[in-house]
Amino acid sequence: MTALPHPDQPLTPAEARRVDAQLDWVIIPLFVLLLGAVFSFEFALLVGDWDYWIDWRDRRWWPLVTPLALSTLSGVFGYAFWRLLRIPVGATLSILALTGAAWLSRYLNFHGFANFPMNMVFPSTYIALGLMIDCILLLTRSFFFTGVFGGFLMGLLIYPLNWPMLAPFMVPVEMHGMLLTVADTMGFQYVRTAMPEYVRIIEQSTLRTFGEAVTPVTAVFAGFLTILSYWLWVWIGSLGVKAGWLRKAV
Amino acid sequence: MSAIPRPAGAGSMQRMAAPTSKASTGAPWLRVFAGLAALCFVFLVYRIYQETTAFTHGLDYFSGEFQAYWMRLLYTQLVLVIGGGTGVLVWLWRTRERDFSRVGRREELRRLFVVSSMLLVFGTIFYITGSIYTESDAAWHQVTIRDTDFTPTHIGLFYFGVPVLVMWGFISFAYAHTRIPYFGGRISLPFAIIVAGAFMIMPNLGFNEWGHTFFYAEELFAAPIHWGFVLLGWSSFAAGGLLTQIATRVMELTRPAQGATQAA
Repeated sequence: MTALPHPDQPLTPAEARRVDAQLDWVIIPLFVLLLGAVFSFEFALLVGDWDYWIDWRDRRWWPLVTPLALSTLSGVFGYAFWRLLRIPVGATLSILALTGAAWLSRYLNFHGFANFPMNMVFPSTYIALGLMIDCILLLTRSFFFTGVFGGFLMGLLIYPLNWPMLAPFMVPVEMHGMLLTVADTMGFQYVRTAMPEYVRIIEQSTLRTFGEAVTPVTAVFAGFLTILSYWLWVWIGSLGVKAGWLRKAV
Repeated sequence: MSAIPRPAGAGSMQRMAAPTSKASTGAPWLRVFAGLAALCFVFLVYRIYQETTAFTHGLDYFSGEFQAYWMRLLYTQLVLVIGGGTGVLVWLWRTRERDFSRVGRREELRRLFVVSSMLLVFGTIFYITGSIYTESDAAWHQVTIRDTDFTPTHIGLFYFGVPVLVMWGFISFAYAHTRIPYFGGRISLPFAIIVAGAFMIMPNLGFNEWGHTFFYAEELFAAPIHWGFVLLGWSSFAAGGLLTQIATRVMELTRPAQGATQAA
């Protein structure tokens, strides 16, 4: 049995390297879990139904609220990873964690527990947006320009990025003399307590007069808002990494 | 706020040796994996029970079977979680380190790894509660209308998952501040924000249920009544600050002695 080193004995270089590696093994999974947990929690309560249901992914609200919600963790953890570790992975990693958590939850909860078909509740894809934000950060090394270009593109590209997956559900069908989309008919078959948009008449008011231009109009508006949102969350991220202390209160 | 000097003792070569030092320079992996496995097992069994009995015995609060299958579970889990958590907190306080100067460099390092591992468990609970259990509630309330605040998914989420998260947050916070010299004599602001954010979910739950009872029986998950939860979830953005504190201290403790560096 070897004697224990003195409690105050400095660590040898080999021990110090081992400590560094051990810390990585604790902190990296912790960060991945946190990213998945926080993003999933936030996304559920800010975007929620707009992303849960295929018939809710409309042209007006879904492309607007989604990039605003996506820019939060992309900004906060993008700043943290860039500022502390100098690696541009915050947006990609957080959106990847969100995607993993969303797939697991949709399968276990919406499909397994509540018996909705998976093709009605599958998550949208956003990973490319995270990659784009991080690549722009890597190229420009500036949060200002990442917000200008990346933020704008994040708002602009939500719809075209998901279009290949959405298109089969947007095919028009006639049911009982009414013209609907395939997604609408699924909504009629699976009535939910949060009524779908065609009952709530989301696309109301004069926006309807834009006709097919609703999607690009929304995308450009979302792009501008996401620029501001990204900057705001980068600033919040700069507050989040502060290692502050308080004097003991009691 | 950040100008408070580091507590004396840690890092000083003049202090007394700690009476016990396990000389570990890594995380207590066996305990971590055992704890995570136990945690996942409990949440898995709970989820299986939920899937098995929610639709058969959990639709009507006023039925006798709901009282038998769900309300008994509610009372039991609240007593266990709050009672057990409070007991651990009392034990942590009663056995607190009264003289941080007695804690040696290696022992402090070991304790930093313990609290990091506790945060890993906290992250796991947060993921299970914040993602899987939260969205089970979203899915459930799309197909059933709530008749009271007590539904099978609420009992699992708000009266089991969240209290476990809050208690574990308190326990981790108390461990750090009663045993680690670096955290002694002051309060880590990011740690306090994270723990307070988790705790404030409970008062916000009161507001949420009041609102659902008062004017909003259906479940639109992105509705403004739920945004308070989002704000509290954002408290975890302070994780970067807390991990910076821990990593900074680990670097200080693992820095080789001046002579050793020159010799190398």
